[in-house]
This record gives sequence, C-alpha cells and structure tokens, in this order.
Amino acid sequence: MKTTDPATAPDADRKVIGESGSLFLARLQGETGVNVGACYQCERCTNACPVAGYMDLKPHQVIRYTQLGWRHELMHSVTIWVCLSCEMCTTYCPNEIDVAEVINHLRNMAARSTIEPREKDLAEFHHVFLHELQRFGRVNELWLMAAYNRRLGVLKNKLRDGSLVEDLRLGIKLWRRGRLRLVPHRSRAIQEIRRLYRKKGVL
Amino acid sequence: MRLSFYPGCSLEGMANNYGRSITHAFSDLDIELVEIEDWSCCGATAAHSLSEAMAVALPARNLAAADSMGLDLVTPCAMCFNRLRFSQQALEREIYDVPWQVSGELRVHDMTRYMASEAMLQRIAERVERPLGDLRVICYYGCQMVRPPKITGYTDFENPQTMDRIMQALGTRVRDWSYKSTCCGASIGIGRRDIRDSLSHRILDKARQTGTDAIVVSCPLCQANLDTVQEGSPRRPLPVFYFTELMQLAFREPAGDDWFGTHITDPRPLLRARGLI
Repeated sequence: MKTTDPATAPDADRKVIGESGSLFLARLQGETGVNVGACYQCERCTNACPVAGYMDLKPHQVIRYTQLGWRHELMHSVTIWVCLSCEMCTTYCPNEIDVAEVINHLRNMAARSTIEPREKDLAEFHHVFLHELQRFGRVNELWLMAAYNRRLGVLKNKLRDGSLVEDLRLGIKLWRRGRLRLVPHRSRAIQEIRRLYRKKGVL
Repeated sequence: MRLSFYPGCSLEGMANNYGRSITHAFSDLDIELVEIEDWSCCGATAAHSLSEAMAVALPARNLAAADSMGLDLVTPCAMCFNRLRFSQQALEREIYDVPWQVSGELRVHDMTRYMASEAMLQRIAERVERPLGDLRVICYYGCQMVRPPKITGYTDFENPQTMDRIMQALGTRVRDWSYKSTCCGASIGIGRRDIRDSLSHRILDKARQTGTDAIVVSCPLCQANLDTVQEGSPRRPLPVFYFTELMQLAFREPAGDDWFGTHITDPRPLLRARGLI
C-alpha cells in the first residue's frame, strides 16, 4: 500500500479546528475568567501593542489560536515571553477581553510545563528573580544581576555580544554614584515566603 | 498626617536617590511616612509571569502588615502599586487562598495621585520657595501606574494628569505630549536589550521633539531605564527627574553639588544654565 509522508502531503500545514481540544479553551476561560469567544478580530490589540513587531503570533492571533485550542503553537511562541504586560491590548479591546491576562496565563502554563521557552533569557531572568526573592525576602539589584549573569547560557550570550562589558561599565558608574547596595537586606519573612513557595509549587 | 509607606526593593538600591527625595518632600509637607514593618518584595513582573498564585500571595503579606497599621498606604513605585492593587482585587474575588489575613479595606494610593489631590496641591504651592519657571518639562507615567484602569482606578489613562498638576504647582512650564503612558520596555530590558532600546529611544526622541528640557517620572524602573539608555547616545541629553526631586528643588536651596550627581545623564549642566543650582 502506498503511503504519503504526512510532512510533504499537500495539506500538511492545514489543521483541523479543535484538534487540540476545546477543553483547552474551556480550561483557559475558566481559569482566567476571560470570555475569549467575544473576539471578532478587529486587531485593535495588535495595533496598540508596542512589541507586536517582535512577536511571531500577534495578540489577535493569540486570541484566535486560543479559540481554536491550538495549545502547541501558543506554548512554543515567542509572543508569550516578549509580552511586556503593559496592558495596552486589554485597555483598548472593545469587547473587554483581557488579552494581556490570556497571554500571561499562557506564560504561566508554559513555565509550569516541560516545554523549552523560545526566549530562554527572558524565562531565565524570571526564574532567577523569584529565586533571589526567596533568599532574602527582598530583591537586591546587584545580587540579582550577579545571579543572572552566572547562568551558563546567559554568560555565553553576553560574552559573545559584548553586553557583559557594557553591564560592568554601567555597574561601575552606578556604584560610584552610590546607587548599588552591596549587602542585601534580609527580611525576617524569609521562612514564611519559603513556605509559600513550597505550597504553591514554585522552585 | 500619617501614612503607611511601602517603598519597594528599588528604593533600597538603584532608586535610593528617589527614596531620599521622598523623605525630604514629605517632611517638608509635614506628612509622616511610616514604613511597613519588615515589608517584603511584591514579586514584580517575575512572580506574575511564572505563577499568578504567587503574584497574589507575595503582595498579600504586605497588605496584611499595612492593614494592622490602620493608615492609608502610599507607594512610590508604579510596579508595586499595580501589584498591590492587583492582589487586593484578586483576594476580594477569593480565587487564591493566602496564609495572611487581608481585610480588603485598605486604601492603596500611588504617590503621584495622592500628591495631586486638591488639598495636597494647595499645600505644595504654598511650600514653593523657588518657582521653577524656567524649566520646561514633560511628564512620563509609563504603563504600570495607569493601566489596566480597572486595577489602577485611573479614568484619564490615555492622558494622565497627576504629575502634570504637581509640576504646575511647582511653577514649571509643563506641556502635554503623546507618549505619556507608552511602555518603555524596562521589564524585558535584561533579557531582550534590543526591544528595550528601540522602545526607550522612541520615547526619548519624541520627548526631544517637544523641545523639553527634561522628563519627569515617578517609576523607578522608568527612571533607571530612560536615564541609562542615553549612555553613549549622540542625541541631546535629556535628564530624567523623579517628581519628588523637583519638589525638593522648588522647596529649598539644594544642599551641595552632589544632590543631582547620582544620575547617569547628568542634569547639573541644565540646572546650572537655568540658574537653579
């Protein structure tokens, strides 16, 4: 029997609606309280977005993909990581869809999953930030940057594009102006916060 | 008058100059700021990006601590303000449970809006000793302080006026412009410098086109970002002031030359040219 390779079949890039299940849509709507179905693709969110140019899926497409339940594409997109949460999309949506909340929720989902984020450095920074937070209860910029720059992937990239040197130069300028604090402040809340981290399953 | 005060992590580090100017400005206005006992970080962008449950829980600890003080809360940082309000509203809807008791009756103000009330503006205007009439400024609010309106409570989110009013009270020549609440990209500046640079430089270019002398901000991240991104830029330098720094400047004779020396884009040549220091 002759078989066609699914990757080269003429309609290989066509997807069946609901392929990834309407359950995904139901779950997302339930968890965020956002009525994704209200979108009529006016693209006002995308027009308002300051970083739409850097996104592979534009905000209105994120909403459409969500309606279709295309979880895989959403989880592997650049969009969920470069979104600034500046809330322009949410503010200007004529149907009051909280677009930023949807994108943020997708980012939360991706962070909990085993999917490798498309923007590794951005994801890494968030993780480092939360890690530093539970160390001291407050975040110290100097320690945060030191912890971030120590990550292997980050260090390699920063050495390659020379931004590590720039960082150091800026760091020295800030230090001279008394803008950096060497010893981090320890909040007495560390134990409480660590307990919270364990309970919420972060780290 | 007493207020409880949530400074936020930046005010201990990069924005310690903001912290100092706030202390001075409030003491000049006879308002006592009582720092929340043993406050902790609100989680900022990171908590919210990775786990919404954490983004509700982390500010809740501070809300609970402020509750027990029984005073209105002000916070100078736009991000902290947004996160505290967000947490408050999420707790009201009882989506997440947190280990702290939060009453939900606490009033959380962002510092500029608190200062821009009629009564406060009156007080500010009375306190001004050196009107800054020669200084042309524009105000930049950024995103987290004004948006989303259902969290922040701003009704004029497209053209916010709080800092503009304060600047008028100080006598500066302040004008409107179109990029007041356009995002400067600071939150992803560390992972994606290219995006941050393009967003910030656009804002700075538009600011220069208005013919302004300086930008006035209230968000520590916006200040750090717009100030440092000008490093090495061939364009006309635009000093980025905290609004409380200009209040200080209008209220009293500056104490020594090092007052504004903490900025990366040095504002001292401008202030000297205008005869203010």
